[in-house]
Amino acid sequence: MADVNKMESHTSSPAKLLSYADKDQTLMTVLQYLRENNLEETAAVLRKEAKLSDSNLPAPTTQSQSSSAVSHALAAYKSSDDPSIYDDVYSDLKAFIDSCLDVHKVELSTILYPVFIHMYLELIYNNHGQHAFQFFQRFSRDQEKYHEPDLARLAAVQRREHMENDQMMETFKSSRFVIRMSRDSYTHLKRHLQERHMTLLINMIQEHLFIDVFDGVPRNQDQIQATSGALLGDAEKEANKAKVFYGLLKEPDLNVPLEDEDEGEGDGDGTGKPKKKKAKKDPLLMKKSKNDPNAPQPTRIPLPELKDQDKIEKISAFREALKRDKLNAEHLPSICFYTFLNTSQGVTCVDFADDSSMLAVGLQNSNIRVWSLVPKKLRSMKSAMELEIIDKEADDVLERMMDDRSATEFKILTGHCGPVYAVSFSPDRSNLISASQDGTVRLWNLVTWTNIVCYKGHIYPVWDVKFSPHGHYFASGGQDRTGRLWSVDHYQPVRFFVGHLSDVDCVQFHPNSNYVATGSSDRTIRLWDVLSGNCVRIMTGHKGAIHCMSFSSDGKYLASGGVDHLVIVWDISNGTAVAHLTAHTGIVYTLCFSRDGTLLATGGMDNSVRLWDLARVMEEQDPEADSNMPSSLNVNSNPALLLGTYYTKSTPVLGLHFTRRNLLMGCGPLAMQS
Amino acid sequence: MAGKDKDHTKDSKVAAGSNIPHESIRAYGESVGIANLPDEATSFLSEQVTYCLKIVLQNAVKHAHHAKRTKVSTADFDMALQAKNVEPLYGMQSKDHIPFRFASGGGRELHFTEEKEMDLSEVINSSLPKIPPEISLKAHWLSCQGTQPAIPENPPAASKESQKKEILDTNVKTMIDRGHKTQKPGSDSISRLKRKRPNSDMVKLKDLTTHELSVEQQYFYKEITEACVGPDETKRSEALNSLATDPGLHQMLPRFIMFVAEGVKINVVQNNLALLIYLMRMVKSLLDNQTLYLEKYLHGLIPAVVTCVVSRQLCLRPESDNHWALRDFAARLIATICKHFHSNHNNIQSRVTMMYVNALTQERRALAAQYGALSGLGELGSEVIKTCILPHLRLVGDRMRAATEGPIINTVDKIACEHIKKQLTKYLPSVLKASGVAETVEAYTETYGYLGPVLFNCIQKERQVSVLSTAAPSRPTLQIHPGGRPQQILLQQPGGTSTPLTPSSTFFPSSGGQTPRTPSTPSGASGQQKFVIVTSQPRSLPGPVSELSSIAGSGSSSSAPTIVKLVSSASAPGMGTTSTIQSNSGQKIVVIQGSSIKQEPSLLQPSTPTMGGSIVTTSSLPQAVLSTSHELGMKSMFPSQPGSISLVKKEERP
Repeated sequence: MADVNKMESHTSSPAKLLSYADKDQTLMTVLQYLRENNLEETAAVLRKEAKLSDSNLPAPTTQSQSSSAVSHALAAYKSSDDPSIYDDVYSDLKAFIDSCLDVHKVELSTILYPVFIHMYLELIYNNHGQHAFQFFQRFSRDQEKYHEPDLARLAAVQRREHMENDQMMETFKSSRFVIRMSRDSYTHLKRHLQERHMTLLINMIQEHLFIDVFDGVPRNQDQIQATSGALLGDAEKEANKAKVFYGLLKEPDLNVPLEDEDEGEGDGDGTGKPKKKKAKKDPLLMKKSKNDPNAPQPTRIPLPELKDQDKIEKISAFREALKRDKLNAEHLPSICFYTFLNTSQGVTCVDFADDSSMLAVGLQNSNIRVWSLVPKKLRSMKSAMELEIIDKEADDVLERMMDDRSATEFKILTGHCGPVYAVSFSPDRSNLISASQDGTVRLWNLVTWTNIVCYKGHIYPVWDVKFSPHGHYFASGGQDRTGRLWSVDHYQPVRFFVGHLSDVDCVQFHPNSNYVATGSSDRTIRLWDVLSGNCVRIMTGHKGAIHCMSFSSDGKYLASGGVDHLVIVWDISNGTAVAHLTAHTGIVYTLCFSRDGTLLATGGMDNSVRLWDLARVMEEQDPEADSNMPSSLNVNSNPALLLGTYYTKSTPVLGLHFTRRNLLMGCGPLAMQS
Repeated sequence: MAGKDKDHTKDSKVAAGSNIPHESIRAYGESVGIANLPDEATSFLSEQVTYCLKIVLQNAVKHAHHAKRTKVSTADFDMALQAKNVEPLYGMQSKDHIPFRFASGGGRELHFTEEKEMDLSEVINSSLPKIPPEISLKAHWLSCQGTQPAIPENPPAASKESQKKEILDTNVKTMIDRGHKTQKPGSDSISRLKRKRPNSDMVKLKDLTTHELSVEQQYFYKEITEACVGPDETKRSEALNSLATDPGLHQMLPRFIMFVAEGVKINVVQNNLALLIYLMRMVKSLLDNQTLYLEKYLHGLIPAVVTCVVSRQLCLRPESDNHWALRDFAARLIATICKHFHSNHNNIQSRVTMMYVNALTQERRALAAQYGALSGLGELGSEVIKTCILPHLRLVGDRMRAATEGPIINTVDKIACEHIKKQLTKYLPSVLKASGVAETVEAYTETYGYLGPVLFNCIQKERQVSVLSTAAPSRPTLQIHPGGRPQQILLQQPGGTSTPLTPSSTFFPSSGGQTPRTPSTPSGASGQQKFVIVTSQPRSLPGPVSELSSIAGSGSSSSAPTIVKLVSSASAPGMGTTSTIQSNSGQKIVVIQGSSIKQEPSLLQPSTPTMGGSIVTTSSLPQAVLSTSHELGMKSMFPSQPGSISLVKKEERP
């Protein structure tokens, strides 16, 4: 509301002026009506109250003229009582938009959808069910295809009582639909509304719409399409203004790898090779230690300190990274695909450990299974009795703690009492977090293979949970429309991310752990600052619920995919879409950036894995594009970005993961053919 | 209650604004004991219930999406109810669709779900259902550096539709190949540019298609062809099964067709019945394969199969060998081909029919050939029988009379006559009944000559049987059991096992590939044949083999061994061979040459001693994949229990 008023004040809205003038006119008409019906006393009181003198009153003119004026004014008043007027007003608006110049037409037509919704709701609210139904029948076909799910839901509302308990209706009632429009188009619209004295529309637009005006050329069809689709229209300009530190955290100094590398590699490889390796490696380390202006301070949020174990892990990751394949359009990765057979229990979610050694699977029957993907089997810790006996001073005490006899290829974790909708490994692979329909998030220890914490916070099913790349924190999102940030040592969330208008379907940590992205059924993606809990980005453009997101390894880009079969690549620095990747024919359930960020792999219900050329997306990104000028933004949707499509026989792709050496792994359950 | 919910899932899909019909509400009311609901109440209830259902369903869909399913299950609905704080519907657990029954009567229409009453003791006493197999994990290569390997775990590179399109447009083929071979956009565009320039102002040229085979495919081809014509019956059934079910064979198809075509050509000359049977079984398997589209190769296939139907002689001892079964089998294959591929463009059926009629009416033809023509026509259906067999019956009868009652009686011809009679009694009765000839011996003799009495008898027999009872067993020959035939053939072949063919497992992952196979010492005949197949132009053959004309009298069987020797010494690797196949109708001359033959010497002479070494090194693709995956530091999990393998196989088959 405040925004509108502000805007209205400095543009000295003629709409407001009009409403004053209009008020006067109605008063006059009412007075005239009273006089005509010989209600002099009432008229006198009214006149007194309104501080109007007789002189102000227009002289009674011919009978016919006055009666038309009277009915007009009354119609304006009881517009809610005369349901047929909605049809007329809507058609009139449509006719006006059609008559506009093509430049403005596309922009102005965005206003039709919210107007349609609110007219329908107003009709319902005023108990004109029949008219509402007719109105819906007549105009619902004009709306864009991607609004269909919302329209179906809207159509379910047929009584005033229905509106009361419905989340979506409440959202429509209490929030404003955002439309971005160029100044030219806006003035055009304003002038028309004033000229035609469409009080109904003006009120509706003031009450339920927020028109975000920008200076510059109007946007074209594609540009509008690219950002539309969210439950409440586009994102406001202001919403994406905050600075996001999308850079990576400075890597802690690890002196070990250099010597270690030479020792390990140099011995076997002869004399020539180590030198080469060194030369190659140095810039890599240099880059890491360089200060990135976009990177947050390492101490911006408290992160756990590295343990020895973590350091060793990091070193091995470094070493692996040195050996990784360089991927590009000419050199595509190999894909190793894991198929689950006999999945009568229904596989609902999968997660690969970062070092690709384990695969966790959530099942419909509330169990979680963890498989080992390497020859090393999964062992559990010895029992307390046996632990007593072992020599605690020994160097290999960690090794001795483990029980070789219990080693199996997979372990089952039982504890949830509803389908498991998400699993996520902690970066050190000692823990696993899982979310379930039963509303709980559980932390499992992968040494003892037991449940250690049950986090009860979400009231409704929890759709997604993810561990932070630095450990310690995890984020969850669920049907209760909140995203939550937890730390493993607190049984209550440390941050609430509230703002989504519908279920939070997926969450993802930024590689620097300072931000959490959430994707929702309201068809927006929001980026939240972990430090303050504020929403720093709202990204619109998806036409369906968002089911997966992934950050590029440099932290600058975010890719998302969902029910609308569309994959969008976003630039985090300004919150705009960079590329729309269209080729999937089913829901996109998984996304993964290659380790060097040049490729994106996507997979979903259409039984395919697709590879996209992201290096090219970044190359072709227009550096001149200004997010303040929506008409200057262009989305890359070149079909040539698709590098490869690999179909499975009949296995939906639920998980994709690039190993540290850039081998792509995928997995999914074999679908029964019935 | 649950039934009600289901009903309206449907409704909400049909139209966004629809409601539960008032009659339904009233019926529900009656079912719980509230009669005569006022109209206002029903309309209110209908709106309210519809709204609630839609809301709950919308939430149920969310659950289905998050469980990565496309179908909403009853469990999802329960969970959605739970979220609304409503007690879930107990006992409504069904994985399948619950069908809705419709009933009307008394001016009312009802939809309901059927609920059968079950006897509890029956449920308790019945044996427990089988425990579902454990979830297992299986790894395979979906792509190797951008190329999708052609292994059974991956879908075939070219679907049947795309193969079909390929016939019209070879670009499709290149697309298919590009799709699953290396993708190098840069190089590709260059080559396209090169190609475009000279073509731009010329007529649109069809691209030449190449059928390159990978090393694995070459091994596969070798193994399959070897097994198909080799002495080992279990291996053969595996190979045939593989041909019939494996996807992705289309790349090798031209070679298989050529193998069959050439094989038939040579073995007809050699009168080698067993091998011809094997080759026909290969054809049957290829026809059975759902992923292959054979139209492009019919020019090679039809002459070969037709040869097996109408050739004058198919075996060394026509008096004792059962070549009749082969003729029948091949005739059935032709009928299948006609059924599947006949179109107004290619006119296959009419061309085949013409050829049969030709064989039937020519005086000089051997009776065996006429038998073949008769069964070929018989398989094509009653219309063909009526128009093509009946008019010629008299002629056939005359010949049979000459053979059986003439001055020189030939045992071979006599047997042939017996078989022809049998064949006629099998195909004709149903047509004869409708032919309108008076049912007397005289009328029949007059119309059909020598064969009249025979036909009349069989008609009479038929009538009696059908009068007595409509018992099927009395006339088993009338029913054509396509499945039963191959077994029958099996019985005929020398040394063949008589056990029914039960494919135990598919060819690919079987142990056959791993175990080094000692070059088998084939039993007499089959060894020779293989050598012969290598060359497609044995010198003794005077010209292009046309199965109808030149077989008669070409090369006596006794000279075969010498041919074999000559050929095997002459077949140097890389020797280009050109073969000319003249199709039966004579319009199409196809020359196959060049690269496709290159691999043939090594592939086609599997049992020469020199090739023994290469057989030992054979390793089938899955193993190769396995070892690579180990190198990459991962563990691949082919299921250890054989049970699960076969289960998966079953699922994958449509």
